[in-house]
Amino acid sequence: MLQILIQGMLLSGLYALIAVGFTLIFSVGRVLNLAYGASLMVGGYTFFYTAQVLSMPKPVGVLLAILVGALFGFLKYRLLVKPLKGDHVAIEISTLILAVVIQAGIILVFGDASKILHSIVDGVWQFGTVSVTANNIAAAMGSWVLIIGLYLFIRKTHIGRAMQAVSMDQKGAAISGVEPDKVNAATWVISGALGAAAGVFFASYTQLSPSMWVAPLIIAVAIVIVGGIGSIIGTLIVAHIIGFMEIITTTLVAAELRGVFTMVLIIAVLVIRPRGLFGREEL
Amino acid sequence: MTFKTKVFAGAVALATTALVATASFADTVKVGFIGSLSSDTGLSTLRGAEIAIEELNAGGGVLGGKTIQLVSADTGEDPTEGIKAYEYLAESEEVDFIISGSIDDVSLGWLPRMVEYQIPTLDTWTSYVGIIDNLVNDYENYKPYFMNIASDEALATLYIDFGKDVLVDQMGWTSVVILQEDTAFGGAIHGLVAEALAPVAGIEVKETIVYDIATVDFAPLFSRAQASGADFIYLISSVNSQVVSSQYVKLQVPMGMTGVNVAALGQEYWEDTGGAGGGISTLSPVPSVGFELDPASQALVDTYQAKYDTRPKFPHFNGFNAYHGLKQAFAAAEEAGGFNNTSWVDAMLKQDLVLEKDGEMWLRYAFWQPGEVEERTQRTYPHNVRFDITAPYDDGSPSMVVVQWNEDGTAGVVYPDKFKTQDFGIPSWVKK
Repeated sequence: MLQILIQGMLLSGLYALIAVGFTLIFSVGRVLNLAYGASLMVGGYTFFYTAQVLSMPKPVGVLLAILVGALFGFLKYRLLVKPLKGDHVAIEISTLILAVVIQAGIILVFGDASKILHSIVDGVWQFGTVSVTANNIAAAMGSWVLIIGLYLFIRKTHIGRAMQAVSMDQKGAAISGVEPDKVNAATWVISGALGAAAGVFFASYTQLSPSMWVAPLIIAVAIVIVGGIGSIIGTLIVAHIIGFMEIITTTLVAAELRGVFTMVLIIAVLVIRPRGLFGREEL
Repeated sequence: MTFKTKVFAGAVALATTALVATASFADTVKVGFIGSLSSDTGLSTLRGAEIAIEELNAGGGVLGGKTIQLVSADTGEDPTEGIKAYEYLAESEEVDFIISGSIDDVSLGWLPRMVEYQIPTLDTWTSYVGIIDNLVNDYENYKPYFMNIASDEALATLYIDFGKDVLVDQMGWTSVVILQEDTAFGGAIHGLVAEALAPVAGIEVKETIVYDIATVDFAPLFSRAQASGADFIYLISSVNSQVVSSQYVKLQVPMGMTGVNVAALGQEYWEDTGGAGGGISTLSPVPSVGFELDPASQALVDTYQAKYDTRPKFPHFNGFNAYHGLKQAFAAAEEAGGFNNTSWVDAMLKQDLVLEKDGEMWLRYAFWQPGEVEERTQRTYPHNVRFDITAPYDDGSPSMVVVQWNEDGTAGVVYPDKFKTQDFGIPSWVKK
């Protein structure tokens, strides 16, 4: 039981961070950013290159990963989303294609083989009979710091309140003097940065590979569908439901069924409550 | 120049080009490579074949001075893509011979196509004994197929000896928890471990944990393994093995772990695990990492490393198999007058390359004959490489060795004794 509790908390924290950057874009811009997984990949590989290949200090690697992720988010918005002017289907298809292109680029530069990141924090912590790496604890804590930071940013800052306004009513916000274009750009930058940070944590928890964008994207989509697309609170709660479900399935049922119950949950929610368990579309 | 003259000149040029092309094709023998073009496994076979072909072409060509042309078909390690790749080589490229660096599931996918097209085909990585059983049961249809890696049954038989001699007698381990990936490969090896290793070596299987190959968080699985109360973990992993290995090390799981770990077969393992790979051991076909090389194999490595600077920087065992196997295939073709079915098969069966080190047999590339019975297992292995699973291993290559990675990033062979370069050990964090 202790094992399920600890490992469930750690995994859920990571899932929450992965999903929150994805749902942020939908809340404000009303589009699904299917290149979100690529932001994780970009972050993970930036950390790998700086901290592992160039042997720069790990905090610098994390910081650079976040900066590159933010830049990637900004470029996605300016070069892809803005020119498509709200054509949701076109944006979703083009972001998906972008992810595939990024994957090909990663293979070209770093090769096809998976890589294991050095731990951000070394060591193993023992909780009774449960062993947990300090890296995973750091990843989960880092995730929560960023999530709380995002919450405070949205609630306490001018740009955060502008994001709330745009997420509720873009036209109304514009009439009130908010510039939706700038708010959207800021949202994509923040989402890119969160995704990159999640990528570093996720890759340090698991592995780095050119196809690593797929699993986090599926997790993010699953969490926001079940939680309610656009609902950050719903996202956080469902991240924990899915994280714990995966650990319980792996530990008590059958490891090979790890992702199956998540998929069943998605189908059930789509059938019974299509707007999600916490259906809101504003921040 | 008038229009008619231009047309005439054009027609003459076209006809000349066609004639040159036809003559060029007639002077070419086509070899098809089937395998993944982006995996270390596939590239090892491809590069071994490329080096062999360059040497044969540089030596004046084959079959009366013809040049060998290599064409590749990517499987992406996917069985469906593998079938398409085989069809492409057979129908579009009309190759004379196919060399495969496919993994088991992919070979099983295209095997019916080989039966259909009857193209001589050499597998250098796949070890699934079920394919050899096809030759046992239906020789006429499957006889163009050769496998120059010891089949998994032979691998398992020698591994049982390792279980008895090292895991039980030396380490005192008597119970195991099997951590197995959910693949055909995983299922096959599990069967061998549960039905052969455990009862014969006197090891009790406490639990089998099957995991999906997409699993990236092994912490709950290692907790389950610890809770089973077993003495050690037997890992069966061919996909993303570096993930489970590195998490074993990072979590400092307090149990020994050995088994089949495909990532640990390559020199890139240490880099791929970010240095978190110490203590991991795996059975490996030969030549493996840490395996002392005979002069001929070392020469191949030298050529390989001078030619390629991208990964894999050291050929996996199947790179050696491809190099020697392709040369043997052409030696057989020279004797048979080409790759025509029966006569080439007969000539291929006569191939016998012994590689010696310090005056004793080190590796051997020969094949079991149809109907020939292997003494220990009392069964036949037609067209499988001639392995030896009984010390002193003087009738063929050993079917496998056990290699172990150390915590300083070096690796060595720990079993069998003839090839041993270091002792089997447990990671520093595991209590004896």
